Amino acid sequence: MLKLLATFKKDLLLLWRDRVGLLVLFLMPLVLVLVVSLVQNNVLQATGQSRIEVLFVDEDQGELGWQVLEVMEASPGLQLLTSHAGNILSAETAQALVASGTYQFAIVLPSGISAQFERDMRRQVGALFGFGSVPADSVAVEAQIQLLFDPAVQGVFRTAVTSSLQYALLGLETAQKGKLLQQALSTQNFGGAHSPDAASEQAPTHLLRTEAKAAGDPARALRPDAVQQNIPAWALFGMFFIAVPLAGALLRERQEGTLRRLLILPVPYRVLLAGKLSAYVSVCLLQFGLMLLAGRYVLPWFGTPVLEVGAHPLAVAVLVFCAALAACGYGLMLGTLARSYEQASMFGAVSVVIGAALGGVMVPVYMMPEAMQVLSSISPLAWGLNGFVELFVRGGGLRDIGGNIAALLGFFGVTALIALGAFKYHSRHGG
Amino acid sequence: MRAAISDPANRDPAKAPMQPMLRARDLTLRYPGASKPALAGLSLSVEQGEIFGLLGPNGAGKSTAIGVMCTLLTADTGEVEICALNLRTQKNKVRPLIGLVPQDIALYPSLSVRENLSYFGTLYGLKGNDLRQRVDECLVMTGLEQHAWRRVQTCSGGIKRRANLAAGIVHRPELLFLDEPTVGIDAQSRHLILSNLQELQRAGMTMIYTTHYMEEAQQLCARIAIMDQGQVIAQGEPEILMAAQGCSDLQELFLHLTGRSLRD
Repeated sequence: MLKLLATFKKDLLLLWRDRVGLLVLFLMPLVLVLVVSLVQNNVLQATGQSRIEVLFVDEDQGELGWQVLEVMEASPGLQLLTSHAGNILSAETAQALVASGTYQFAIVLPSGISAQFERDMRRQVGALFGFGSVPADSVAVEAQIQLLFDPAVQGVFRTAVTSSLQYALLGLETAQKGKLLQQALSTQNFGGAHSPDAASEQAPTHLLRTEAKAAGDPARALRPDAVQQNIPAWALFGMFFIAVPLAGALLRERQEGTLRRLLILPVPYRVLLAGKLSAYVSVCLLQFGLMLLAGRYVLPWFGTPVLEVGAHPLAVAVLVFCAALAACGYGLMLGTLARSYEQASMFGAVSVVIGAALGGVMVPVYMMPEAMQVLSSISPLAWGLNGFVELFVRGGGLRDIGGNIAALLGFFGVTALIALGAFKYHSRHGG
Repeated sequence: MRAAISDPANRDPAKAPMQPMLRARDLTLRYPGASKPALAGLSLSVEQGEIFGLLGPNGAGKSTAIGVMCTLLTADTGEVEICALNLRTQKNKVRPLIGLVPQDIALYPSLSVRENLSYFGTLYGLKGNDLRQRVDECLVMTGLEQHAWRRVQTCSGGIKRRANLAAGIVHRPELLFLDEPTVGIDAQSRHLILSNLQELQRAGMTMIYTTHYMEEAQQLCARIAIMDQGQVIAQGEPEILMAAQGCSDLQELFLHLTGRSLRD
């Protein structure tokens, strides 16, 4: 234990003495979090070429459903799905699929909405142009179309889909009004109740209203904004960069000859590695903690919402620890497989960026082409990020992130074993 | 010349060791993909308390031999015994008994000299006052007390070399391997290091010393082995070997035995 602690202390001291490296290690993710959160918080940007899959549930089975489906399908960025696994979707299934994050959006048309829309439309047009006597309050009856969204969906995408739906419904309403007006004009059935004053007093009200709400348990879901999603994402990205200095430390020991001295010690090499790992995992934990503090206390100065970490701090701690182990395991593997520091730093940095891109740190996974979505499942950053989204956005707990924890620990196990294997190979062959 | 060094031949027979400190028999080792073996049947015997010189041209197999004898590498065939402990089966018992001063400055550059010594001392099981005392002794012995808190990266070549030696002896090993410990330093630092080694020998430490400086070997070593192509081609006391080959100094003997053609 003393030897492990000595190695832990030595590696912390080495990291501490490399002030520039340490500054980069802590400052880089902080700057990333700051910039990306601010940018995504304020700018609604184009969402790219990929089509968002939206579940469509038509419980009404009337004319309106077909019209909405047709108009929404015409939107370039959307693809509507009416069935899942060979079955026609029900509202409950759609809600469950969205709540679990399998799909990001569902549109639900309730039963009877077509008839209600038709009736309200006739009343409103009649009231405006005087072909019937309709009490003013009855025209305000609104049909409710539900737009369910995954709380993990970033605001920019939610806005895009909501706008598409509202635009489609407005188009339908306008077309329907035009049709009714044309009928009225052709029959010249104006009646006596109409006057220009009455028309101006009763300005047309939108009859097809949408209600957007998060799928899943509303008591659990947290506020889905850029801060909730970007801070864990970019902090995770920064954390995985620990692989570069860790690999560098291992390579320096090999290149500068310190490893030769360490290898003849009466201490198993795994104890020395455990000491080194403890030091670097501690740095990762500190780094992540600082990112969370920044999200809570620094970013709000720049006008972003305050970061909420959910009701399960233990689950957050466990996930951060497992992600730190995975990041350090990757560094160990890199440090034992690479032949030079240049190799490790270049490959390490690029591979972390690729892992982050695949993992949904830069672009949400659901916005990626299908092939990339499949590839995304092999990125440890995706496992970590999905876990944080579950905790920070969907309000999940330890049980909900069991799979993510297992995957991260598995990754650590595999990388550590590869590192030990490579190390033994080098030792045997004098490499 | 070698007046300060006790010659095993002149030692009191009553105190003569019964068992050699190190015995290597028929060591062979071939690196993967190499056309020739790095060790091709190397055999040596090193007596307790002596400084044994392992000489040879570049690529002769000296560093590989040191690597095998200090448990860094495993020979394909052959056996090594240190203090009568077999290296293949009792590696963990051998390791606390040996020390290594590698050719590279095997220290952490951003740690101070004292921090490096304390770290390696701790890994050898030293702690508390024992550790501090051993570190202080090593610093005094190698003339580094004034530089104890300097980071290694800011030290001169001579200080680094002396710190490298100090890190190898902080745990008082029975057998110390020195792989060219005086490369690239000035005459003053070299003189101090050689004096340190003689002092350690007087304290009973056994050393296996590789160097390309023949005058150092002649000054320090009671016995030498000259290696070439992974084998020992001559072994014994320098004077006897020189006389046998009609050579006036060790350099002449070395060139006579290993030839004048370049090796790398």
